[in-house]
Amino acid sequence: MSELNVAVIIKLEPDFSEGSVSYNPDGTLNRAETKNTLGPHSTIAAHAAFYAKVMYNARISIGTMGPPIAESALQMAQRLSDAEELHLYSDRIFAGADTLATAEVLKTGIEKMQGKMDIVFSGHRASDGETGQTGPQTAWKLGFTFLGNVIDYKIDIQNRTITAKRLVRLQGFSDVVEEIEAPLPVFISIDPSYKPLFNTISQRLAFGKFQKEAKIRAENYKQYLKVFNVQQLGVDPKYVGLPGSPTIVYKVERIPRGKATRQAEVLDGSNPEHIRKAVSKMKEALAAMVIK
Amino acid sequence: MEKYDVAIIGGGSAGLAALKQLSNLRKQAILVEAGNKIGSKNVSGGILYSKKSKKGHVHNVEDVYGDVFLREAPLERKITKYILHSTSKDKVYSIDLTAAHDYESNFGYSVLMNKLNAWFADQAAESAQKFGGGIISGVHVSEIKFDEQRNTSIVKTDELEEFEVKAIIAADGVNSEIAQISDARKKFLPSQLYQGVKVVVKIPEDVINERFSLKSREGVAHLFAGDVSLNHIGGGFVYTNLDTLSVGAVYHFDSLLENPVEPYTLVDAMLKNPMICEFIKDDVPSRRKIDKNLPQEEQLRIRFAITKLIKSWNELRESYFSKGKRDERVKSGKYQSVEEIKEKLDSIREQLTQKYGVIFVTDYVEAEYSAKLIPDGKRCRMSKPYHRNILFVGDAAGRGIFVGPRIEGINVGIDDAVRAANSISRAIDKNNFSSDYLGEYYSSSVEESPYTKDMKQIDKDYLKIFLDASKDVPKDIISARYSTVLKLMSSDTIRSVAIKFANILGYERLLPMVESEDTYVKVPIEIAERLGKTVSKTYEPTIPSIAERIAKLKFNDDSNPHIKVLKPQSEFMKKLVTLCPTKCYSLENDNVILQHEGCIECGTCSQETDWKHTRGEKGIVYQYG
Ligand SMILES: Cc1cc2nc3c(=O)[nH]c(=O)nc-3n(C[C@H](O)[C@H](O)[C@H](O)COP(=O)(O)OP(=O)(O)OC[C@H]3O[C@@H](n4cnc5c(N)ncnc54)[C@H](O)[C@@H]3O)c2cc1C
Ligand code: SF4
Repeated sequence: MSELNVAVIIKLEPDFSEGSVSYNPDGTLNRAETKNTLGPHSTIAAHAAFYAKVMYNARISIGTMGPPIAESALQMAQRLSDAEELHLYSDRIFAGADTLATAEVLKTGIEKMQGKMDIVFSGHRASDGETGQTGPQTAWKLGFTFLGNVIDYKIDIQNRTITAKRLVRLQGFSDVVEEIEAPLPVFISIDPSYKPLFNTISQRLAFGKFQKEAKIRAENYKQYLKVFNVQQLGVDPKYVGLPGSPTIVYKVERIPRGKATRQAEVLDGSNPEHIRKAVSKMKEALAAMVIK
Repeated sequence: MEKYDVAIIGGGSAGLAALKQLSNLRKQAILVEAGNKIGSKNVSGGILYSKKSKKGHVHNVEDVYGDVFLREAPLERKITKYILHSTSKDKVYSIDLTAAHDYESNFGYSVLMNKLNAWFADQAAESAQKFGGGIISGVHVSEIKFDEQRNTSIVKTDELEEFEVKAIIAADGVNSEIAQISDARKKFLPSQLYQGVKVVVKIPEDVINERFSLKSREGVAHLFAGDVSLNHIGGGFVYTNLDTLSVGAVYHFDSLLENPVEPYTLVDAMLKNPMICEFIKDDVPSRRKIDKNLPQEEQLRIRFAITKLIKSWNELRESYFSKGKRDERVKSGKYQSVEEIKEKLDSIREQLTQKYGVIFVTDYVEAEYSAKLIPDGKRCRMSKPYHRNILFVGDAAGRGIFVGPRIEGINVGIDDAVRAANSISRAIDKNNFSSDYLGEYYSSSVEESPYTKDMKQIDKDYLKIFLDASKDVPKDIISARYSTVLKLMSSDTIRSVAIKFANILGYERLLPMVESEDTYVKVPIEIAERLGKTVSKTYEPTIPSIAERIAKLKFNDDSNPHIKVLKPQSEFMKKLVTLCPTKCYSLENDNVILQHEGCIECGTCSQETDWKHTRGEKGIVYQYG
């Protein structure tokens, strides 16, 4: 039995990397053509959960709400976190959910996961038009302490407390790292700059061992997957999907781009004349710089 | 502080064998390797031998890894032919030395260290895990402190918290930092070392089979002496791998210092030899200049399209010319039949020629350039390869065999590793890590190894094979220096006596006579000129410049230099401007300056520098090795 239960909520998102993303002629995202992948912030959340696996031998569960293809995101997150339980909340009724309705589904799902959760991780936000509210709202619904922008954490298993470092960005001032202690359970929204560090031999060994286990598990991910529709999840349809969403996004506007003040020039690397030009430009730029 | 029984430093073939053997003996060990991926820092020629020696028992690779080794390890080809060529310009005289290759040997496989060490690592890590050990890569050991009271060592690294162990196996290669940190031995001298430089050439599997008249998975080793050496002591080799060739040049460091040439010119001399030209040639797409009058975007589009098509063509061709890969493509359903692959291949080729003006020429394709020092065990093996509770194995202990054209380092390191692991296991059982119980025991075990005997004495039966093979060479070619020796050696009865006498003299006195310019340069050239067949080349290979070669290598750049020049004006360092294989040194105002970014950690400059490997994960990342 593990002494620490950890859940991660993740999201399948359009892959904005080169070669995967496709746009409509009007500049909006072509969802049908664009490949999907585990969102970058979800990836960081999965890394943060894996840290708990390596350091505290935590039991990891992952949940997501989405269409059936979202199971690929669960598989990817399992590959990163060595999860033992994958939840997909998938029902037509869930469609059109705003952050609050999504939080309702996730909260119910998390409560259905094996064991009582000690920590729930979410990404900082989704990269395809979400406002970073799903996390806090899920935390609120679960009744967990919410810790945002976490960049590092340690657990005291015996006393069931967590010490976390939060990156607080103060506009106009330098960033501040705030260290806080809280009793478990907590809900952590992980900062995009989070990087797990494994400093001892035993941590590195555990890292290698669980990474291997994760690879094998992810190859057989269906074995760990449970899919829930509205009834199976047992949520009240009033609180999910469109009916449960008090906010409706009715229009997304592109912010007009400012006119570029810089002028780009394409140089050909195989042309020595061009190279000379580039070098002289660099020299010019460097000469104008004052190095203190 | 965390505590473990054993630390193994260095994840080359020797260190990995030590880990596997300790796990076979149910002992806990941690292997620490600087490279990010196991295998990424290792270079060999190379042929991996398994031996059956008359002089005693050796521990072979298959003894360590079990039957699975021959079934599953990524071995390239089983070497079944071994041929020595004397060269002079377009003349080549060849002697079949397969008997010398087969001497006391179970098998010899051509291997590429990157793949092979990764496989060894998988096997060793899985076993080690069962006993609380394993492999940690991307970590560079920087210091070792001996705790007199506890009789243990504390290992410090650049990346992790320090940890304590009862014993250490130093398997950190020819440029061992552990040997320096612990004061176990001095740095090897140029007179004790060879410099090896190698390129990997790509050629489809079936083309290799046909060109070298080989059955599937069979291989050949071609050795070269004569004018390809550019007057240096040493020689070159071409080994067939599955779908690549290893073309290398190995020269005595002293002879390079005496007559400095850029190391790559020695490989280039090999590549330009007419026989080797014909070995390496292939059908190579050559781009034509894109019309500069086209709009920039269009030029870019065309460049990308050509790159993509050439890549597809190369990949598909590689599969088409390999029975295994061909069948795989059809089996996977990607193609209906082999004919369909051929059709697709032709259609890509046509698109390239018709639409993009690409022409196909006879040339060769170089995949990787590499270099490394090699210790000559005859001259530099540690007489007692231990210091306190640290046991040295493989290249780190200066243990490599150079007899005639044969280089043996991998198998020797594996034998050492088993002996070290066995000695440590015994020490763990008795909880006695004293020098007497551990170090001396290991040292005498190594002394008993047949490999050590090969590093100390001439094996008369092995020598006879050479003499028999070269009996057609007219005696008058061989200079006066050898004629009496030869006379003595040719008679079976006198040979024994002569060799006994020679062995009394010892290698130190004999080597300058045998390993001389006469042996490696003058005699082979004369043989080639008088007896050789003319081989003509059908094309001139386009040899990449050193800048192009470096650009092709993968580095994980480190802003911190890992080498410090100590004597910027010394004669040695000035020669390094020529002898560094990747031109890291230059001369400015009579001072030698280092630009460490292109360093491939060969160790050639280590003699007069403060030399360390890069920090964990940094530096060169070889793809073949
Ligand atoms: C061109 C050439 C041709 C050769 N041909 C043959 C041949 O045909 N047959 C044959 O048997 N042998 C051949 N050899 C020799 C053979 O390749 C070597 O003897 C063998 O690879 C050495 O293995 P090793 O494990 O002792 O050292 P290495 O393979 O050098 O491994 C040492 C490892 O230690 C790591 N390391 C070093 N310092 C540290 C540190 N401080 N902390 C952590 N890690 C560290 C390095 O990253 C490296 O991975 C050839 C060598 C060359 C260069
Ligand atoms: S700098 Fe030294 S170690 Fe690096 S490649 Fe050059 S000679 Fe080799």
